[in-house]
Amino acid sequence: MKRREFLASSALATGAFGFSLGTPTRLWADEPVSGGTLVWGHSETTQNLDMHQTGTASTSRVLQNIHNSVVTINREMEVVPQLAESFEVSEDGLSYTFRLRQGVLFHDGTTMTAEDVKYSFERCANPETGAVNFEVFNDMAEIETPDDQTVIVRMARPNAPFLSRLAENGAGVVMPAGSGDSQGTNPTGAGPFRFVRREFGNEVELERFDDYWDGPAFLDRIIAREITEPTVRLTGLNTGELHLINDIPAERISQVEEDGNLQVRTWAPLNFDFVNFNHNLELFQDRRVRLAFDLLIDKEMLLQGALWGQGEGTATPSFPRDAARNPDISHRAQDLPQARALLQEAGYAPGSLSVVFKVTTNYPYHVESAQIIAEWAREAGVNMTIEQLTWADWLSQVWVDRDFEMTMMNFFTIWESDRLYYSLFHSTGGFNYRGINDSLVDDLTEQARGEVDPDARIALYREIQQHMFDEVLDIVLWYRNGSIGAQPSVGGLDTLVHPNGSNLDFHKVWLRA
Amino acid sequence: MAYIVNRLLSVALTLFLISIITFSITNILPGDVAMMIMGTQSNPEALAALRQSLGLNDPVIVQYGRWIGGVLSGDWGVSLLFREPILPLIAQKMLASGLIVVMSMTIALCLAIPLGVWAARHRDRWQDTTSSTVALLGLSMPDFFIGIMLILLFAASLGWLPSSGFIDPTEDLIGAMRHALMPSLALGLGLMAHLTRMTRSSMMGILSQEFIRVARAKGLPERTVVWRYALPNAIGPVMTVAGLQIGYLFGSIIVIESLFSYTGMGWLTYQALLNRDIPLIQSTVFVIAAVVMLVNLIVDLLYRLIDPRIRLG
Repeated sequence: MKRREFLASSALATGAFGFSLGTPTRLWADEPVSGGTLVWGHSETTQNLDMHQTGTASTSRVLQNIHNSVVTINREMEVVPQLAESFEVSEDGLSYTFRLRQGVLFHDGTTMTAEDVKYSFERCANPETGAVNFEVFNDMAEIETPDDQTVIVRMARPNAPFLSRLAENGAGVVMPAGSGDSQGTNPTGAGPFRFVRREFGNEVELERFDDYWDGPAFLDRIIAREITEPTVRLTGLNTGELHLINDIPAERISQVEEDGNLQVRTWAPLNFDFVNFNHNLELFQDRRVRLAFDLLIDKEMLLQGALWGQGEGTATPSFPRDAARNPDISHRAQDLPQARALLQEAGYAPGSLSVVFKVTTNYPYHVESAQIIAEWAREAGVNMTIEQLTWADWLSQVWVDRDFEMTMMNFFTIWESDRLYYSLFHSTGGFNYRGINDSLVDDLTEQARGEVDPDARIALYREIQQHMFDEVLDIVLWYRNGSIGAQPSVGGLDTLVHPNGSNLDFHKVWLRA
Repeated sequence: MAYIVNRLLSVALTLFLISIITFSITNILPGDVAMMIMGTQSNPEALAALRQSLGLNDPVIVQYGRWIGGVLSGDWGVSLLFREPILPLIAQKMLASGLIVVMSMTIALCLAIPLGVWAARHRDRWQDTTSSTVALLGLSMPDFFIGIMLILLFAASLGWLPSSGFIDPTEDLIGAMRHALMPSLALGLGLMAHLTRMTRSSMMGILSQEFIRVARAKGLPERTVVWRYALPNAIGPVMTVAGLQIGYLFGSIIVIESLFSYTGMGWLTYQALLNRDIPLIQSTVFVIAAVVMLVNLIVDLLYRLIDPRIRLG
């Protein structure tokens, strides 16, 4: 590849993914080379390594390199084949036919067949497995395997999001038949890297799988050292002990960029954050009250104050590159007099309304956001008390028991519209911890789930977003940026971040000699 | 011998009681491990299925019986959150923490005893003031602050020591000690302060006693009087405190372990608690309690070696 072509293609990749190049033009015109061990300072501890059973973004980030799925998504968020060579959906949406690639090898040396796909799907669907994504297969009636390369999934009723849900490893992953019991400690898949060992809480070692169906990776080995303390992670990168780190502390990003000694990449979104009301309480069943709280927040100032500007404001939770995202919605500007007037109209004179805002210390910027919002609330005549909870307490009180008035949360990797809108906003949705009960949202999300025409689905999701915004069901704040810092010796950084914004894919990453 | 058997029996009884108390308390805590595994990816049905598959729906007494039965038969089970077998996990983390505890205690004792003796010999003079100031500095600077300063100096500026991480001492002892040195220093300097004050006051008490005056009157060299006669008599309380600190260290070095990404027992216990991983909580608390009691037993036995006048039993 010539230098000019490389620059053009890099710029294209960067633009398409919303990357910002932190370092002044650090594009290298050299060719990728094979070899070397990359030491990655990973921001979190990996947990259960079973792809079906793990629900955390941190563990999925590592497993992404070990596993492949039947289908995946590209940068435009379209479902594309991965271990399947092609797929076909019947017009009535009741059967999915996957033609599998020939000669795909698992890390244990066996060749992938339709039986492995059947095993993997059935394992995920079986409630006894404890799979996080088991409900993806709720509408599945049976799986047929007419030959080694063909899998037909028959549905009991149309389930439009089924295919895109399979694009996440948690549901669509293919593991060797019978390997389930050992996946938790010795994950085996068909991905570009093979699991070698985990020194628990310390590091995970992966090595290149030379027989990877999509061509071997460049790196010989990846050592993912788990360094949860952000400053120590950054020090390790500065001293050269680490080649790469994810999650640079937000307040240090601009300084690292200015230093110019390291490569920095930031992208949106890593996740989205929103402020929530408990809709089971009479107080928040009044739209005027919800609107008043929306109006008292200056979202841009909050982004600067709590997140050091490391994000991008958004009033809808749809992924920025998702066709279903409604482009016409934007934040309401801060208007304290109007907020005060609305509260007065709803029967809350200044000083008469007290609200408890529960946030988890698991996300320190949520605590900072709540402190800033509480100050604006005070100016609008609301007494806001902040309760800081550990992650376990937050999950228990807010998520499970729904014992809260206001709270704040974020979601990683929910890019698929059905999962996002049905789970989070439908009155029976599994993630509807706010108790939202809105008949129009229910109707529209149900219609969208059964709608097999893509354009009609997009229109439905856009309508849902407009309605959610008008009704102020939540206050969506921003997409938070992800960040990576790397030594100048690391090549292929622009390919590292998976389209879901959270996983890291080391297949095309390489080290300069 | 009867003394040791008696003590061991009381250790076993105490451990049994501790395991019941820990189990009861952790079951009262809000939330459970199924919730922690799924986080915000859970919905009521998935959560119920996971609880069932983890055996969390069984009565508390059944869960306890399963755990204690496993411990007695040598099968400590698997961590519910991490799916790792518990016994090897604890062995690995005990080794990591053990190295730091031994190194920090060595650093602390090597500095504290000479400093304390020096201060006691020069009571109320500049040497005493210097020693007190050093001890006060050690006491008043939190260990994580010392840790950050050490990282900035030895890793970031000088590049002499790795900033974080752990190496298995059975594979590379020197590498392991290099990784453990900064965490051990950070802990050791704080410990040193306590032990210096302890040595000083204990030595002062001994140095003012009659037999020391007699030894000096006999014309023995001061070095012999201090190190041969006074110190062995003064060291008892210092050892008691050091023994207690060792047990305490295993469970409390979480801050330093987190700072240096040096994952040992403190870290493991904290993770277990944070994630409501009951079998792991039970096992870590059990092991730490056993270590605290055994170290104290060993200290009591050592008394006997150092000071034959002490009778046990």
